[in-house]
Amino acid sequence: MTLRDAIDLAFRNLRQAKLRTFLTTLGVSIGIASLAGMVSLGVGLQDQTVGRLQRSGLFDAVTVLPGGDRPGVMMGGRLGPRGFGRRGDPGAPAAAPDRVERDINDQALADLAALEHVRDVYPALRIPVEMKYGGESEFALAAAVPVSVRGEGAFQSMTYGRFFASDAEIACMVSLDLAKRIDEKAPGALVGRSLTLNYAAVTPTGVPQRTEFACPIVGVVERETGPFAAAAGVSPLMLPMGKAREMYAASAIAAPGVSRGTSGPRPYGSAVVRVTAAQFVPDVQERIKRMGFNAYSVGDSIQGIKRAFILLDIILSLIGSIALAVSSLGIMNTMVMSILERTREIGIMKAIGGSDGDIRRIFLIEASAIGFLGGVAGVILGWGVGRAINFGANIYVEQQGGAAGNLFSLPFWLIGGAIGFSIAVSLLAGSYPAARAARLDPIQALRHD
Amino acid sequence: MAVLLETRDLKKHYRMGASTVRALDGVSLEVREGEFLALLGTSGSGKSTLLNLIAGLDRATEGSLHMFGQDLAAMSSLELSLHRRRNVGVIFQSFNLVPTMSAAENVALAMMFAGVARDERQRQAAHLLGAMGLGDRQQHRPRELSGGEQQRVAIARALANKPHLLLADEPTGNLDSRTTREIMDLLRDLNAREGKTIILVTHDAALAERYAHRLVTLLDGAIVSERAIARSAPGDEGDSA
Repeated sequence: MTLRDAIDLAFRNLRQAKLRTFLTTLGVSIGIASLAGMVSLGVGLQDQTVGRLQRSGLFDAVTVLPGGDRPGVMMGGRLGPRGFGRRGDPGAPAAAPDRVERDINDQALADLAALEHVRDVYPALRIPVEMKYGGESEFALAAAVPVSVRGEGAFQSMTYGRFFASDAEIACMVSLDLAKRIDEKAPGALVGRSLTLNYAAVTPTGVPQRTEFACPIVGVVERETGPFAAAAGVSPLMLPMGKAREMYAASAIAAPGVSRGTSGPRPYGSAVVRVTAAQFVPDVQERIKRMGFNAYSVGDSIQGIKRAFILLDIILSLIGSIALAVSSLGIMNTMVMSILERTREIGIMKAIGGSDGDIRRIFLIEASAIGFLGGVAGVILGWGVGRAINFGANIYVEQQGGAAGNLFSLPFWLIGGAIGFSIAVSLLAGSYPAARAARLDPIQALRHD
Repeated sequence: MAVLLETRDLKKHYRMGASTVRALDGVSLEVREGEFLALLGTSGSGKSTLLNLIAGLDRATEGSLHMFGQDLAAMSSLELSLHRRRNVGVIFQSFNLVPTMSAAENVALAMMFAGVARDERQRQAAHLLGAMGLGDRQQHRPRELSGGEQQRVAIARALANKPHLLLADEPTGNLDSRTTREIMDLLRDLNAREGKTIILVTHDAALAERYAHRLVTLLDGAIVSERAIARSAPGDEGDSA
């Protein structure tokens, strides 16, 4: 008997008992719906928290500081307490005596960018500027923002306007706080207007002078985001990385003392290395340390969060499995009934040459067909119920002032897994009835009415 | 004619609670190729049990049953199903057609287990039903057919895999006398024209005498008499030992 024939025969049998097939399949689909719904809730909650944390840009970042013993040098630019903890400092740890301790200059940035799994490298910069708007003026530390962080954290949703188009653009973004200080009633109207920025620079000949330029506001964002903002405090004013580096370089020469006795541009206080995926962070961090820098990362707290969610997933799927266990008993019951009803037919099939294996195969195919149909229906049902709950929950969340999100997430692996699991459970539930059918004694089966 | 099957001291015992029922108690029998043999006996004589053992539907408790040089007693369950599929065709008193399948599908089902391709199955089923005079009844379900028509479908099914041996267990037990004659004539034609060996189980001695070459009578699981009937029709004279 070919597989094709066995499948035809099995589906014929299922069609023969439409109501029973429908009810059994419905039972399976409810079981799968509850299981898929629970896992989907777990995945959704995980996406809501872990996903949000990952998009914050905190977990794939390594903060790089110059080599040597420089505790707490987290602030960029001139703010960092520089000038102590030099090479050969007797207080430095002797762990790696032959280690080259390096400054973070342009060459260092290029070397860091060449590391495997590194996606982006940029200096962490804070430029002191004087902002002038209308008749007002205030000092601020402008944050340098690379275009590569577009889509991270608060930059995902600009409150007004847009993100920087390129690192070389002459433009600025302001925080919503600052925008409201400037124009309480219509902070969005700032987009398109300009701020006048005034900063300290030196001429090539070394004469200090204030430099001023008009900076068009392209966007308003709720707050600055990123690893550096988390460490150094958020800044109300954001500049593109290119302009910020130019401003830093121009002001740098004014303080030659901070470069470690070497000539050339002043090194950066710290840099941020962005890694392609969070799991590479420890490895990249270690290699950066071996290059002669100090390196820090937020650590593996995200791993702990993930572990907690795996536990939550397991608990939710156990709850969901109860319904599936009940429906698998339904399959078993249906199959046993069906075999009882078709005992004579099984006897006939055996009498005309059907082997035990043929009979078993027909019933196993029937069971897996119920599993497949129930699985597909269950995923659809689970998805529908999830959407409905999500809709209701979001109304409540928004009333409470929160942001709407997807509590349920139904990735492709979950769809495929749920259907596959449904087939597997059905096969398991059908294996006993199928074995019983295969073992039937043909003579007794033929006498059966 | 060559011996098609041979039983030696064949026994079948059932345990019924504390007592043992000796359904067959030492039957030795030879059946020659092309023979039309009738197994006679009252109910409980063991004639159907013997037929079931030959059909490979049941296993003997003791003794041997050789067909085509193979001992059915030594066969695995899978080998027995292959024996049922290839070597024998069984016809029952109650027809045993699958009620949800049409006449053609019932005939084709036997070939399905033998792995015959779908087109060939349909062609062969139509041909066999045509030969049984059911050319216009192929798509009818069993309950839409008369008893005689159902038995013809069953005979067509028994012939589907071209077995050498047809086993008929009271094939006319549920039929009226006119239909009985039609079915028996059909079996005789299959024996005479196509050389099928036939073993007929019946309690009707007159019927057996009219059609069979040899009558074997069983009582309480043992052969009590054997009688050859001279016929002009082709087939073996079936001399008794």
